[in-house]
Amino acid sequence: MAKIQVNGNEQEVEIPIALIDLIKKNKVEQPDMVSVQINGEFVSRDKFDSTLLYNGDEVDFLYFMGGGARC
Amino acid sequence: MLKPRGFTTRLIHSPFAKEDVNRALHQPIYSNSAFDFESAEQMELAFQGRLPVHSYSRISNPTVENFELRIKQITGSLNVTALSSGMAAISNVIFVLASAGSNIVASKHLFGNTYIFFESTIKDFGIEVRFCDLTNTDEVRANIDSKTVAVFVETITNPQLEVVDFEILARTAHEKNVPVIADSTLTPPNIFQAKDFGIDIEVISSTKCISGGATSIGGLIVDYGTFDWSKSQKLAPLAKRFGPFAFNYKLRREIFRNLGACMSPFAAYLQSLGLETLQLRFEKAAQNCRDLAEFLGTLPQVKAVNYPGTVGSPFYEISKRQFGKFPGAMLTFDLATREDCFVFLNKLELIRRATNIYDNKTLIIHPASTIFCDFGEEIRKSLSVSDLTLRLSPGIEDIEDLKNDIVQALH
Repeated sequence: MAKIQVNGNEQEVEIPIALIDLIKKNKVEQPDMVSVQINGEFVSRDKFDSTLLYNGDEVDFLYFMGGGARC
Repeated sequence: MLKPRGFTTRLIHSPFAKEDVNRALHQPIYSNSAFDFESAEQMELAFQGRLPVHSYSRISNPTVENFELRIKQITGSLNVTALSSGMAAISNVIFVLASAGSNIVASKHLFGNTYIFFESTIKDFGIEVRFCDLTNTDEVRANIDSKTVAVFVETITNPQLEVVDFEILARTAHEKNVPVIADSTLTPPNIFQAKDFGIDIEVISSTKCISGGATSIGGLIVDYGTFDWSKSQKLAPLAKRFGPFAFNYKLRREIFRNLGACMSPFAAYLQSLGLETLQLRFEKAAQNCRDLAEFLGTLPQVKAVNYPGTVGSPFYEISKRQFGKFPGAMLTFDLATREDCFVFLNKLELIRRATNIYDNKTLIIHPASTIFCDFGEEIRKSLSVSDLTLRLSPGIEDIEDLKNDIVQALH
């Protein structure tokens, strides 16, 4: 088991785990519109399958349409 | 499942971002300002951009989002933002890309308000616009330097009706690591696929054809995600974190929300409906335009006709290659004198004197005395805006009625 940060919250996952499986595990809303960063770096959609996560990784799921306001 | 391929089928059947609770066939109008949250935690996540939900309608709104998603569907783009007007789309793009000390390379042949925005408004903020002939590759190359943040082009210039070879222009700009911004208002997405010609960001006045025939004011920024933003001085730090979304991040998380030029849900609803009949209306208006161009050319009072869809136009071949059968639905024609133009305008009974294009009604204007009235004669001359020219934007009326009105007004 390893500990990773998902949207700022710690999660325990069995490694190795692919990014696409983490998206499914977290039931990420509107996965076709989500933008993903690992440790502050962008991951392109075509690499969701092949990107593996490791202990201590920080993953952020972000949306630029339809939400996330400072108003 | 059957995958629709046709333009109109795809857009009419494009899904909502979220299924409507009442299974409405059109996205309802959400006219509210703010949205409720289940918990403080959910609210925090939303404000951090970590949930795809709406919080405040200046930032995003379900009705507006649905319109944006439909445009995304038919353009094959990465991101779409709907705004309060076409000029809001242009100004937002410029403020995303440029800072004091930056420059933009553009043609002088521009819509009047865009020209003033470039020549005066952003000049006051330290942004230079270098006007040159975009059909001349050497001139474009010579004007681009390390401070150039964009090449800006109108797909068909208004009212000169000049057309650039976009692939050559894009190659020249991209060789110098500069994105190409195109105002494609005159060539809606049913006839022009901007991405195929190397355009990185498209701005559209959706007020025109898309709105359903001038039902409401609106603008669009269509981001194709094609430019490598790590090559942009301003956006490079964001490119590492957001890749092809760097432009959109800067736009949606800062410029768009701070300038506040959002599209209203009512306009989004009207424009979404209008979009459904875009192809039908455009083809009728464009056919009327082609017919009127030929007809006007046969009248002795008409001294010149300018429409890129006529064989005699210097832009006929390039227009055909880039836009297909109908290169827009707008033409200009010259009468012998300025006075003749005014007399003609005043005698028209069906065609309306108005400063818009792509309405369902045929509209006409004398650009020199209206859109370009703030410019001196010398500047108008340099912009190729003549006192003898009238701009005609054919609507979807029956062609014989339009011809009859023109004939009676010329006599």
